[in-house]
Amino acid sequence: MKNIIEVKNLTKKYKNLIAVNNLSFELFEGEILGLLGPNGSGKSTTINCILSLLKFNSGSIKIFGEYMEPNSSGLKRNIGVVFQDIALFEELTVYDNIDYFCGLYINDKKVRKKYIEDAIKLVGLQDFKKFYPKELSGGLLRRLNIACGIAHKPKIIFLDEPTVAVDPQSRNNILEGIKKLRDNGATIIYTTHYMEEVEIICDRVIIIDKGEIIASGTNEELKCLASIEEKIIVECNNFNDNYIEQIKELENVSDVSYNNNILTIYYTKGKNNLISIIKYLKKESIEYNKIYSCLPTLNDVFLELTGKELRD
Amino acid sequence: MFTHNFKYSLKTLFKNKTLIFWTFAFPIILGTFFNMAFSNIEKNETLSIIDIAIVENDEFKNNKVFLETIKTLSDKENEKRLFDTKYVDINEAKKLLSNKKITGYLILEDTPKIIVNSSGINETILKYVIDEITQNEIIINNIINNKIKNNVYTDEIYNEVMQKLESNININHIQNQNLSYTMIEYYTLIALACLYGGILGMSSVGKTQANMCSTGKRISVSSTSKIKIIFSSILASYIVELIGIILLFLYTIFIIKVDYGNNLILVILLSVVGSLTGLSLGILITTVLKSNFNIKLGIIISTTTLLCFLSGMMGITMKYTIDKNIPIINKINPASMITDGFYSLYYYGAGDRFYFNIISLLISAGIMVLISLFSLRRKKYDSI
Repeated sequence: MKNIIEVKNLTKKYKNLIAVNNLSFELFEGEILGLLGPNGSGKSTTINCILSLLKFNSGSIKIFGEYMEPNSSGLKRNIGVVFQDIALFEELTVYDNIDYFCGLYINDKKVRKKYIEDAIKLVGLQDFKKFYPKELSGGLLRRLNIACGIAHKPKIIFLDEPTVAVDPQSRNNILEGIKKLRDNGATIIYTTHYMEEVEIICDRVIIIDKGEIIASGTNEELKCLASIEEKIIVECNNFNDNYIEQIKELENVSDVSYNNNILTIYYTKGKNNLISIIKYLKKESIEYNKIYSCLPTLNDVFLELTGKELRD
Repeated sequence: MFTHNFKYSLKTLFKNKTLIFWTFAFPIILGTFFNMAFSNIEKNETLSIIDIAIVENDEFKNNKVFLETIKTLSDKENEKRLFDTKYVDINEAKKLLSNKKITGYLILEDTPKIIVNSSGINETILKYVIDEITQNEIIINNIINNKIKNNVYTDEIYNEVMQKLESNININHIQNQNLSYTMIEYYTLIALACLYGGILGMSSVGKTQANMCSTGKRISVSSTSKIKIIFSSILASYIVELIGIILLFLYTIFIIKVDYGNNLILVILLSVVGSLTGLSLGILITTVLKSNFNIKLGIIISTTTLLCFLSGMMGITMKYTIDKNIPIINKINPASMITDGFYSLYYYGAGDRFYFNIISLLISAGIMVLISLFSLRRKKYDSI
């Protein structure tokens, strides 16, 4: 696959704090690359360095084989950015906001008009063209924010936590829109701390913590890094802590936790575990409301690699 | 791209209520307050004759320019005379001043010195008249020196000097007008309105700064040249500011009936140049200071108000006090340049002093814009 962005040994320091530490990765044409990490892990700083907004201490960044600089207008023409903060003019309508930002790339009014309509359709704002930002809900604002960043049909799109604080409906709409962008030929870098989103839309994932890459690969490859193969969740009210030690003795169990009436059992192998735990619960007459099995998530991988939850 | 950004800059500026308040409404509201506060005073106020003393030393006796001008301005047969002058020695002058019989006294040594006890409108008038005589003395001395070099007959020189005193010395102009407290306040009000253009300057440049607002980040990563965006935004801001100034003039002329004299075109010229300086000041503060939008807005408003205060907005004697004690402040204070331009225009007509202020304002604006552009070029930030 063709390499579109190449980041080599990128280091960015804020006084004594190392925000990005010797980071190297590549972005390939047509993929959605997820940068996954907790808040403050260096995802946005990395994006801002790539976009030449931030100075960095060492390393190199190439886009389409060229070094990115603040005056690289040829490269910038092919880049679209959706920042984490809402970047809109309160004084302009939905249509005018998109027109303004699209007009910074596209001079031809006819072409621009078509592009704006496409962007509005993509994010589902057809009924809100004449609305002002203050009249929109949080989710619609996020959609408008995305439309302003991608209306000029860029080849590379940076999406920096575009779904923060949005309702599930808008989130689904946004994720669907991102998939469509990729299907239309765009290459995307998607930063988030929501692992579910990464699992849904990303082809490849880089997990970042404290400015360093701690793992990278496809979802499946990353999940293989986890030492567990299965998790069983049991919702039970009157669970005695003494049972934990007994459950740990069951076959394949690697760990057990009980918090807020939720019993979580981690298994190193993923066969026949549900039957064995149901038998145990019956034998001990432990009442439960719900029991289900699930596969390990990226959060489990992150937990294992860093010793903390992704959203801590 | 230039017209695209220009069009949307105008649109956003006109729809921004905060900016419209500070640039359009606030000066008009302030003007209305001035009118309410000063109109009664103005009606009861006529120009009174100022008691002064001249130390009659050899320097004064030999200085024909001062001698003749003071004589003209103190002529009792002239109903519109400005001074009631006593010619005394230094001790008598000091005594008269300490007994408050005179506003101040003039002593000619190497340079003319005015001694006053307090700050007030009379002291201000005295100072401006003496300044004007000093300037004209320099002009006349130059004429004499040139004539002498050319072997022109002495009587001819004398006649020409006298002609100069009668026609060129604009002090006579002062006698034809009522000195107005309110006018001085209106001048500083216009200066304030001009300098409040800084808020528009901040808005136009600030929106392009990635470290100031999120739209700045988006604009900074776009492929359009930042210089194009900045210049078109500044142009839009300048037009909005000029509209604000025009509205202020229309309001003061037609609603509260302010008389700007016979030099309205030059008054407007000074306002146009002053607005450019105000705009540049805002741009400079925006680009040089590292802080967020609201802090910068606060800095611009407080700086502008302070500059106007120093130029006499909250007390007409402040300008004189600063001129007397720390003259350098008013030499570099744009508000002072604007108000001084208005004073000189109102009292003496379009002369060197007026154009000096215009040029000073243009130079200040140029320097501020250059510094700003230099710091805006190809900008990458340490943090955003």
